[in-house]
Amino acid sequence: MLRIKNLHAYYGRIRALENVSLHVGPGEIVSLIGANGAGKTTLLNAVSGLIARKEGEIYCEGTRIDHLPPEKIVAAGISQVPEGRQIFAPMTVMENLELGAYLRFKKNEKSAVKGDLSRIFELFPRLEERSGQIAGTLSGGEQQMLAIGRALMARPKLLLLDEPSMGLAPLVVRDIMDTICRLREEGMTVLIVEQNAHASLNVSERGYVLEIGRIILQGSSEDLLNDGDVKRAYLGKDYKTFLEGRNGQ
Amino acid sequence: MKTGNDSQGHTSRDDLEQLQLEQLQSTLNRAYKNVPFYKKRFDDHEIDPGAVNSVEDLKRLPFTTRKDLADNYPYDMFAVPLRDIVRISPSAGTTAKPFVVGFTRGDLKARQDITARFLSAGKTTDTDIVQICLNPGLAGWGRALKEGAEHIGASVMPMTQMSTSKQLMAMKDYRTSVLITTPSYAMHMLRVMETIGLNPDTLALRAIFTVGGPVPSDWRDRLEGALAVSLTAGYGLSDVTAPGIGFECGEKTGFHVSEDHFIFEIVDPQSGQPCLPEAEGEVVLTTLTGRAFPLIRFRTGDVAALVSGTCPCGRAFSRISEITGSTGPVLTVAGIKVDPVQIEQILQTLSGTASPRFMIRLYKEDYLDVMEIWLEMTEDLFSDEVKRVENDLKRLRRRVFQTLGLEVAIRLVERSTLDEADLPVGGVKDER
Repeated sequence: MLRIKNLHAYYGRIRALENVSLHVGPGEIVSLIGANGAGKTTLLNAVSGLIARKEGEIYCEGTRIDHLPPEKIVAAGISQVPEGRQIFAPMTVMENLELGAYLRFKKNEKSAVKGDLSRIFELFPRLEERSGQIAGTLSGGEQQMLAIGRALMARPKLLLLDEPSMGLAPLVVRDIMDTICRLREEGMTVLIVEQNAHASLNVSERGYVLEIGRIILQGSSEDLLNDGDVKRAYLGKDYKTFLEGRNGQ
Repeated sequence: MKTGNDSQGHTSRDDLEQLQLEQLQSTLNRAYKNVPFYKKRFDDHEIDPGAVNSVEDLKRLPFTTRKDLADNYPYDMFAVPLRDIVRISPSAGTTAKPFVVGFTRGDLKARQDITARFLSAGKTTDTDIVQICLNPGLAGWGRALKEGAEHIGASVMPMTQMSTSKQLMAMKDYRTSVLITTPSYAMHMLRVMETIGLNPDTLALRAIFTVGGPVPSDWRDRLEGALAVSLTAGYGLSDVTAPGIGFECGEKTGFHVSEDHFIFEIVDPQSGQPCLPEAEGEVVLTTLTGRAFPLIRFRTGDVAALVSGTCPCGRAFSRISEITGSTGPVLTVAGIKVDPVQIEQILQTLSGTASPRFMIRLYKEDYLDVMEIWLEMTEDLFSDEVKRVENDLKRLRRRVFQTLGLEVAIRLVERSTLDEADLPVGGVKDER
């Protein structure tokens, strides 16, 4: 589905990604975990075409997309749910969702869009209840649901989720992760970027660990959850003793 | 019936190459970050591990040798803190110093998958009874194979020290269906069966897996014919890797390399340049999934060739030929790697600082590898007390066994005998 080879990305003169290769198979949920500033969001933005200065190859279903503008990448079937939701706060829930299908309205797919709306309301009944409500007044969890719903309106083949659990209460995080599992059952392919490594590895099949712009580890989610380095660095287990262990060698 | 996971062998070459690229890049990043030896080696060669853009780029990286492993004895080649290591596997090494291979929990799981894949390729299933007959020098492999067979769900009889006739008795009485051993021990067992009059028809044996040395084709024919079994050979390095990292499929046209865990290259031993397919050279190995003990372009000392073309079995994994020899002084005796230098050091414990004159004779006795050390009789060694000389020799034999896990014979010879052999000190007369 998605295949990245030797991706480098830059912000000005700063290299944010260094030779990153990664793939997401069809129907797979893959996690990209790493600390703040590791380059996780940069990677998603590079895939979505939001970063101009990049080198390397990005393929979506075998077609090279790294030179395409963002709207063409959305049209190719990749939708990103940005970090911090970034919904259109002054607009209603319904208007937000309709905007997600913007490209398809132009293509006269109005009736299909109507059908998708009901599917999204099925996935997030809360959004239907609040369809007329101003989006900015929703709770954090509801806003995240709206952001995912809006991305789904473009009928993507691949969903890029940027920190879906950020700032949410643990119970709400579980709700969001359950939704991601349901999307998988429907055959959706998902790449999740998360600092909450535990939540994200629990719903994904595989994962990659990004550290200062480089991938330092990959494997099945089960293996990563049991990996010593991952536990210490990302699952919040005895980080201090880890450092002492290292220095003591 | 449950078999081991063989799925990766059947992915497309394209997917496999993407996977290898990803694994190679992260392995290099980890090794550079966590192992001072690799960081220094890369820096010395002005190589940025972040600039490796393809598996082909690997050939720009420097080699790692057994000496490097020994120089970093015991733990300096480890890429994870010791507390993540759950198994420590000492290896006699092949130089002055031994070396130590460590495994994380994940590494042991990967090794189990690799050995299970080897055993599955020869159709081992959860209904099999597996008997492992290896010598003590291959104890690490014995454990790896036991874990792989158990992973498949087979009933496993782990390696135990018993006489060959006892092993055969167990094979018959326990209805062993799968035998794992070295090629020469398999031949030896066949010989003993003939001697004690054990009729192969009374055995339930169905398959033999061999590790630790090449299988001559006439041996394969004899074993398969006399015992009505299918023989599947595996390749590995007894001192650093699991057995069966290269494995035969049903076609038996070379060893498929588990390329989702390793990259194999064949290079010219002198120039270090890659060899063309079908041309013989040294096998060079890079680990892709190893966490504790990453090896980057490790020179194995084994000589083989890449087999070109795709295998009719459909696996994407490329193949190497049977091992046809070794590049350096390192010998393979009964599957165990031995450097004559190691023998010299043991002999020195008797003679003090002086270098003893000796040679090594290798021959086969009932198909088993025998190593004989011919040591020059000097005045230091010579004593009127036969008992003392005998004790000295016994001590030397014990030292060799403790270091290498190998039984040897030591013969005291006259200077003229060594002169006749016309070999350098520690020279090898290989009559196998």
